[in-house]
Amino acid sequence: MALIEAHGLTKKFRQAVKEPGLIGSLKHFFTRQYRDRLAVDHIDLSVEAGESVAYLGPNGAGKSTTIKMLTGILVPTSGSLVVNGLVPYEKRQQNARNIGVVFGQRTQLWWDIPVIESFNLARDMYEIPVKRYKENLAQFTEILGLDEFMNVPAGKISLGQRMRADLCMALLHDPKTLYLDEPTIGLDIAVKDSIRRFIRSLVVERGTTVMLTTHDLGDIEDICKRIVIIDNGKIIHDGDLAKLKDTYARDRVIHFQLARPPESMAAICAALPACETTTDGLRLSVRFDRFRLTAGEIAAAVMSRVEVIDFRIDEPEVEDLIRKVYLGQLSLESTDSDTAAPSLVEA
Amino acid sequence: MGRYRKYASIARTSLEITFVYRAGFVLNMLGTIFYVVAMFYLWQTIFLGSPNALGGFTWPEMKAYLLVSFLLNSLMTWFAEWNMSMDIKEGRVATDLARPMDFQASRMATAFGPVPFEFSSALVVGAIVATVFGGIALPADPLHLVVFLFSAFLATLIKFGLVYCVSMTAFWTTGIDGIMVGRVAIQNIFSGALIPLVFFPDWLRAIAAVLPFQGMISTPALTYLGKMDGPTTALMICIQAVWAVGLILLGRLVWRGAVRAVTINGG
Ligand SMILES: Nc1ncnc2c1ncn2[C@@H]1O[C@H](COP(=O)(O)OP(=O)(O)OP(=O)(O)O)[C@@H](O)[C@H]1O
Ligand SMILES: [Mg+2]
Repeated sequence: MALIEAHGLTKKFRQAVKEPGLIGSLKHFFTRQYRDRLAVDHIDLSVEAGESVAYLGPNGAGKSTTIKMLTGILVPTSGSLVVNGLVPYEKRQQNARNIGVVFGQRTQLWWDIPVIESFNLARDMYEIPVKRYKENLAQFTEILGLDEFMNVPAGKISLGQRMRADLCMALLHDPKTLYLDEPTIGLDIAVKDSIRRFIRSLVVERGTTVMLTTHDLGDIEDICKRIVIIDNGKIIHDGDLAKLKDTYARDRVIHFQLARPPESMAAICAALPACETTTDGLRLSVRFDRFRLTAGEIAAAVMSRVEVIDFRIDEPEVEDLIRKVYLGQLSLESTDSDTAAPSLVEA
Repeated sequence: MGRYRKYASIARTSLEITFVYRAGFVLNMLGTIFYVVAMFYLWQTIFLGSPNALGGFTWPEMKAYLLVSFLLNSLMTWFAEWNMSMDIKEGRVATDLARPMDFQASRMATAFGPVPFEFSSALVVGAIVATVFGGIALPADPLHLVVFLFSAFLATLIKFGLVYCVSMTAFWTTGIDGIMVGRVAIQNIFSGALIPLVFFPDWLRAIAAVLPFQGMISTPALTYLGKMDGPTTALMICIQAVWAVGLILLGRLVWRGAVRAVTINGG
């Protein structure tokens, strides 16, 4: 059995509907009106121990809600859920011992006391053996650079510092599974990098299972092998990241800087069938399928016809891909079938 | 013992946080001092009008009653209740839920952490006020003092049970402030904090008798003064214990319902 097994997992929220303004409030006071909202709609999810999964989706898709159910914070409306042999919301405390959770939007640290004291509290809460606690604390302090604010209350440290401290706090008890809900939100590039490297090392060295939600796709390329995309509470894609790229992000673009305007565009286009060629003064761009042609072939074809000063290649970006999925321009088939053709619906 | 160490740590941290918010603590204390001094003057005027005992209370006894009331009111301030309801309202309980701890036990530890400090500061302030007003009645029998301490402990448990249940309403309503104010108002009347229950008309006393509030001030104050005979004292303490346990269990029940039915706020 997989580490995380969810079948038909569903969470329905009841949201109060209130018309704006005083009249609306008054109306609401007497006649409460509610609307059901399926935040998570019958999802099936299975995650093996040691996997690193990126859980993506537009705002309000149901990511945080799913994470909250997996961690035992929310009780599902229906469906079955077993994590590490336990039903999280039934065996909440036992489940909590096995997991680490970081919510980027909210801290686990005690606001008013020095960071180190929050850690000491974690030691007592999770009943971490003193020796293990010291080892972990020393290691995390070094990697995450916590020394400079160890004795400062959490309320008085910067966001980046807080996030690093939160990560440490979530990991002191050697959790099998780490849930990260937007762990790099609002951080500068350097801190993002160090956090990503750290999480990666957890996956590689400690075999920690990681499930991560983010809006920053830089996070996932560094850390995750698998991506799951949820939209409107439904999982619309679940598969390998590399495969997804191969299937949908096939196009590469070479940009050439020319010495003088090409004499005949037609000749160049003719030499590059199945490519999309565009020019703009001294610039020439060729979009091609990286599985059918190589950059070398393109370069050779162009250079034999015009004088090239410089060129660069744009790699396909997952970001682009996901954006298209969110916008509904691209509907993902199962990436497991190698033959799946990209179906681009122009919006 | 290891299993409970975490709650001891939580209690210690909670005490530490009280020190961080010392300005709030001092202000709260000043408020209660002002209140108790006002009560002293009020009752002094009443007793001046009738030199003998009133409702079975002599003036030194009345002073002792007011001080006990002050002492118990100083324990577990509104801060505990406000904190807990805010944590619920703003969704911070989510972090508590992801921890290997019993929610009520950890909240209890948080509420009880500052109690020793609150108790000793109230004792000091109380002693000063008592001296200024010419002394108070001391327990006639050392045994009364022991029984009083136990009864005061039960009173604090009842207070916690009540505060916990009231905070839980934050799951369903956004008007928790109003409910808190209401709780304090009702409690001040029916606990005997303002006026000893013997001064109540019969029907009001009958209502007070079936509510948990009398166990919060009246019962411990009367045990201090030794105003009840042995069997009555035993009965009143049993009633306190039943309320304490009952309210704490009720809190657990409400919590379980809340977690199931209501959702934790915030993304
Ligand atoms: N406590 C709640 N009560 C009512 N509705 C809620 C509650 N929490 C979430 N929702 C609704 O459920 C849906 C999913 O919310 P969720 O927080 O899971 O989204 P998300 O994918 O994490 O989005 P984001 O990227 O913005 O964090 C949203 O439409 C939201 O309005
Ligand atoms: Mg979210």
